[in-house]
Amino acid sequence: MSPLVLGIETSCDETAVGIVRGRTLLANVISSSVEEHVRFGGVVPEVASRAHLESMQQVIKQALLEAKVKLSDIDAFSVTAGPGLIGALLVGVSSASALALALNKPIYGVNHLNAHIAVDALSSDVKIQPSIGLLVSGGHSSILQINNLVTDVVVKGSTIDDAAGEAFDKVARIMGLGFPGGPLIDNQAKLGSKDAINFPRALTQGNDIEKNKYDFSFSGLKTAVSRYLAQTPNFNRADVAASFQEAIVDVLISKSLLACKDSGIEDLVIAGGVAANSRLRELAKQRCEVAKVRLRIPPAALCTDNGAMVAALGSLAISEGVKPSAIGISADSAAGVDQIVWA
Amino acid sequence: MSTVLAIDTSTSRTSVAIVKNREVLFNQFHDDPIAHGEVLPKLVAKALEVESEIDLVVIGMGPGPFTGLRSGIAFGQSFALARGIKWLGICSLDAMAVKIKEIDFIVSTDARRKERFWARYINSKRDGQPKVSNANEILKLNIPIFNEGEYYPDPVQLVELSATNNSILTPIYIRKPDAYPVPKDIKIRAMTALDLITASGIEKQVYQKSAWSLNQFKEEFSKVPKSAQYLVAELAGEVIGYAGIVFNMDTADIHTLTVIDSQRRKGIGRELLKRMIDLARSKKVNAVLLEMRLGNDQARPLYEQMGFIEVLQRENYYAPGVTAVVMRKELM
Repeated sequence: MSPLVLGIETSCDETAVGIVRGRTLLANVISSSVEEHVRFGGVVPEVASRAHLESMQQVIKQALLEAKVKLSDIDAFSVTAGPGLIGALLVGVSSASALALALNKPIYGVNHLNAHIAVDALSSDVKIQPSIGLLVSGGHSSILQINNLVTDVVVKGSTIDDAAGEAFDKVARIMGLGFPGGPLIDNQAKLGSKDAINFPRALTQGNDIEKNKYDFSFSGLKTAVSRYLAQTPNFNRADVAASFQEAIVDVLISKSLLACKDSGIEDLVIAGGVAANSRLRELAKQRCEVAKVRLRIPPAALCTDNGAMVAALGSLAISEGVKPSAIGISADSAAGVDQIVWA
Repeated sequence: MSTVLAIDTSTSRTSVAIVKNREVLFNQFHDDPIAHGEVLPKLVAKALEVESEIDLVVIGMGPGPFTGLRSGIAFGQSFALARGIKWLGICSLDAMAVKIKEIDFIVSTDARRKERFWARYINSKRDGQPKVSNANEILKLNIPIFNEGEYYPDPVQLVELSATNNSILTPIYIRKPDAYPVPKDIKIRAMTALDLITASGIEKQVYQKSAWSLNQFKEEFSKVPKSAQYLVAELAGEVIGYAGIVFNMDTADIHTLTVIDSQRRKGIGRELLKRMIDLARSKKVNAVLLEMRLGNDQARPLYEQMGFIEVLQRENYYAPGVTAVVMRKELM
C-alpha cells in the first residue's frame, strides 16, 4: 500500500493539516486566522504565529479524525519549511519534528511553492512532469520549467515588483473593498465589464518582451488603477475590478503560453492562491484549448494554502526516492523554488 | 514511577532533560538565541537515545522572546500528542529562581528591545505575575538581580516544580502582538481649538523639555485645514493622543504623533499613523516623511512596519547630542 503522509502548513495565516495516501486525499483541515488580520489590511506575523500555536493540536486531531487514521499509522511527516513568515513556519516545523521524533518516522521539510504545484497530483492521473508551471500567490508570481517536481525546477521568469496576489490586495484596498483582495475583486468583477477600461499590460511589448520575456510587473498597473480612480469621480467599481483583473490574468496566461511554445512543453500547471480566481481559470481554459496545451489547475479549494499540498509533495518525494530531511530542519523564510526538499 | 521529558526555550538557551524518578538521565543545552527550532529536535533525539519511554512532558512556558518560546511549546505539545501522554506547563522564571538562596530577589531574562522579562521572589515565592520592563526600571527597585547569562531556567527544576505547581496552559507572552485592533472605545476625530490646551498638557508630560509650547501648538494648528491636518484620539471622551501632518508640494510631513504613556502599545499610535498616511494619500503627495529621535526603539518598529525607511540622520536636531532620524514612506 502507498505510504500514509501527514502534511503541516503554517507559512502564513492558515494552520493546516492534510493527510494523503499516495495520491489519494484523505483529509484537509484548515484553521484560518484571516479574520484577525482583516482590520490591519494584511497579515500581522505575531498574530498569525500565536493563532498557529493555539490551533495546531486541534487541527492535527481533526485531520486524523477525518482521515479515520491514528497518528501511529502515519508513515511519514511532511512540513512547509519555507518560504513564509519565520515565526509562523517555526510552529509547524517544531510540531512536525516532534511528531516524527516521538513516533520514530521520517520527516520531509518541503517548499511551500512547490507544494502548491504538487497538490495537482491529487486531482490528476497525469504524470506531472515535465511541464510549465505558473505559480501565482500573494507572495510569488513565477513561470517555472518543471522537469521533475521534487528534484528539478527552474525559474524562467518572475515578477520584478509586486506579486499578482499582492496587486489584488493593494488594488482592493485603494478601491475600498477590504482584505483579502483576491476573492473580493473576483466577485466584484463578475458584475462589471472587463473591456471597460484598458489598463496597461506591462513587459509585453517591444524591448521589454526581449529583456523580460517571462517576467511580470504589476506595480504600474496598480498605479494606473489608482490614477484612474482619482481622475474618475463616478467610477464604476465593478468595471474597474473586471478591467484590472483582466489585465493581470491576460499577462499571466500569455506569458505562460509563450513559455510553453518556446520550450516545446505542452503541459501547463497553474497553481497558488491566485489560481482560485475564476477569470484566470476560465481564460486559461479557453486559450490553452486554442494553443493545444494541456491545462491542469487544482480545484479552487486546493489552490489556497492547505496541508494536503504539503502532504502531496512529501508523498511525491517518497515515491521519487528522495531522502528524508535530517533532524533539526532549518526553516527558511526566503527559500526559492529550487530548494524543494530540505536535506 | 515516571519518566519526564523537560524542555525550555524561553531564553537564548535551549535546554532538554530527562528525569526518571528524580534521577537525571539526561540534561543538556545549547546556546543560540535564534536557533531553538533546529537545536531542540537534535537535543531531544539525543535524549531519546538515553531513554525513549516517556510518561510526561514538562514545558517552560516563558516569558521569553516569542518565536523561540513557541518552538519549544509547539514541540512539547506535539510530542505529547504523538505519544498519547500528558504535558504540563511551568513558568520558566520559576525554574530559574529555585536555586537562588536569597530572601528577596529578582530573576530577569532578555526580552530584546532593551527590555527585560522579570519576576520578584520573596521567601521562595513569586511575587505576582512575570513582567516586562525597561532594564533601568528594575535596577531602581534596588533588589538583588539574577540575570540570564549566569542563570537559566533549569529543565530539571521544571520537572520538580511540575509535581507541585499548577500547570500553565497558555504561553506567557506578557507583551501584546506588535499590532492589534484599536480598542473599540477609542475614537479618532479632527482636533479643534478646544483640544489645544489638553494636547499641550500631554505634550509637556511626554516630551518634557523639548515639548512644544501652547503658542507653538497654536501656530501649528493655524495651518489647518489648508496646509495641515490634526487628529486626536479619545478614550471615554478624554484626549489621550494626537497627531498632525503638514502638506507640502510633493510630500507631507508628520509633525507629531503622540500617545500618553499609560495608553501606549494598544495600537492607538498605529491607528493615528494610518490616518495620517490616508490624509497624505488624499492630498496626492508622493511621500510621507517623519522625524524621530535616534534610539526611540519603541516607535521605530511601528514606522518600519508601516513602510517607512530611514533616509538620513540630522545631528543635534532636537537638542545638542540628540540626533533625528528622518524616515520616508513612498506613496503610489
